[in-house]
Amino acid sequence: MSSKKTSNKFIKNFKDKLNVYLYVYKIQIIRSMAYKFDVYGNIIMQTIIMIATAYFWKALFNSADSMGGVTVDTMLTYTVVSSMVSVLLTTNVEWRITESIKKGTIAIDMMRPVNIFKVFFAENLGAITALIFQNLLPIFIIGSLIIKVPVPNNLQDGLLFIISLILAFLINWYLAVIFGMWGFKVIEMSALIQVKKHLLRLLSGSIIPIWFFPNWLRGILECLPFMYIYQMPISIYVGQYTSDSLRKGLMVQLMWVVILFVTKNYLEKRVTKSVMIQGG
Amino acid sequence: MRVFKTISHYLRVTLACVKMAFLIIVEYPSSIIGWLISNPIQFIVGFATIQFVVEQFGEINGWNYGQLAVLYGLSVISHALSMIFFVQGWFMGMYVIEGEFDRYLTRPLSVLYQFFFTQINVFGITDLIPGICVFIYGCYKIHFTVNIMNVLCIIIMLAGATLIRGGVYILLGTSSFFTRSANDFGQYTQEIFDKTTMYPISMYPESLQFILTYIIPIGWVSFYPVSSMLSIGDSVSGFPQVAGITLIVGMVVMTIAGIFFKYGLRSYESAGN
Repeated sequence: MSSKKTSNKFIKNFKDKLNVYLYVYKIQIIRSMAYKFDVYGNIIMQTIIMIATAYFWKALFNSADSMGGVTVDTMLTYTVVSSMVSVLLTTNVEWRITESIKKGTIAIDMMRPVNIFKVFFAENLGAITALIFQNLLPIFIIGSLIIKVPVPNNLQDGLLFIISLILAFLINWYLAVIFGMWGFKVIEMSALIQVKKHLLRLLSGSIIPIWFFPNWLRGILECLPFMYIYQMPISIYVGQYTSDSLRKGLMVQLMWVVILFVTKNYLEKRVTKSVMIQGG
Repeated sequence: MRVFKTISHYLRVTLACVKMAFLIIVEYPSSIIGWLISNPIQFIVGFATIQFVVEQFGEINGWNYGQLAVLYGLSVISHALSMIFFVQGWFMGMYVIEGEFDRYLTRPLSVLYQFFFTQINVFGITDLIPGICVFIYGCYKIHFTVNIMNVLCIIIMLAGATLIRGGVYILLGTSSFFTRSANDFGQYTQEIFDKTTMYPISMYPESLQFILTYIIPIGWVSFYPVSSMLSIGDSVSGFPQVAGITLIVGMVVMTIAGIFFKYGLRSYESAGN
């Protein structure tokens, strides 16, 4: 009898907590709708970048039909999908953390009866949900009309792509949080965040897939988490993998998620302690 | 006489601002070290990725590796200069939303002048280093002969390129007077500039080239001057002429941006009531 009661209480508690985060999620969606101009501006800018990249590949493949088994069609699909994926991987959690450290609101944020990082996660999901309609769909439509309809290699690849993308999303998010938490030690973070941003942009395969990189660099990149954020899911989508590299790739992705998750939890504990002592 | 007095006044203020800007470096030594590492990494890695691609494909639209390095280097240098003087344009939306222009409006100097020059971004210098390195490397690769004439033309061209970039930042930033949005398109602006100034724009379709030449004259930032400097493709006139045209284009863009800014400032209504 009593154990049932406690379990009921637990479920109720869990539901309440979930409701809190759902509320944050909803608020963020509404907040993202506030500025119409931003939405149009983002769409225009992102499509210009996407089209420019597509013509870059067209110019390169002018003289060669295929390069290392990659054709221009593959690259055009790659470009459109990469633009769409970059919308889904939008995160500004580093800035959220560093801003609240700079302004000193982090102590109050942490005293609230919710986990601040879960709130950030809910906010992030809310922002992305809004972006799916505001950016992803327009980019998909414009990309399909002007560049190429980005069809997956086959249905199975499409499904594997979604699994890989979810793992990529988690890697990207945990990486961002860990970088953000660094700000507790180093107050001036903007330069470090920039480094991470540029390395992510250039070495994750978001613009230039690492197939085109020399072997030594590819070896290094396979040991870093960056290429598992863009390169891995998109190369599954366009069918550029072997069953061996697929199995290995997904395992490494999962491994990175676990490593980053553990690191994040460890840092979270330490950070919470230090804030409670200093500012609480 | 009056004009002379005004100019000397502006010069004195500028000098004070530059001094202040350099003091900022002393204020945040850790920050300048951070930027000194982060910005070169960005451009060197960026250039390396181009190198890998060119190694695989041979050339991009008739531009070989050394020529691309010159193009890339000059593009980064003008980017760095525009970062030093005009980066505030990226954050204009923030200033509009938070009513920061009040402060500038009450002072006797021109608002646009104050907006840019009272906070010169010395950290932009860290962008200059990789730009110059890649440029010199490119010149070495293609055995480009350097003489006084060339250097002069390059300086004129860089001035024009910086003005074009700055003008575009102001034009984009001014739009937030009308939209009241705090969003800064800095990242996207930079990415678009990267795509259109670090690669030859001749690889884009003609319609896009037309836009980049006559409507949003980004082509003049690096593509036209460099292709006449290295005589690539069917450039019509010599490097000195094209460098001169770049400077004129830069001034025109800047003037238009200034007029648009003045017009935008009229609909500025501070923060709160």
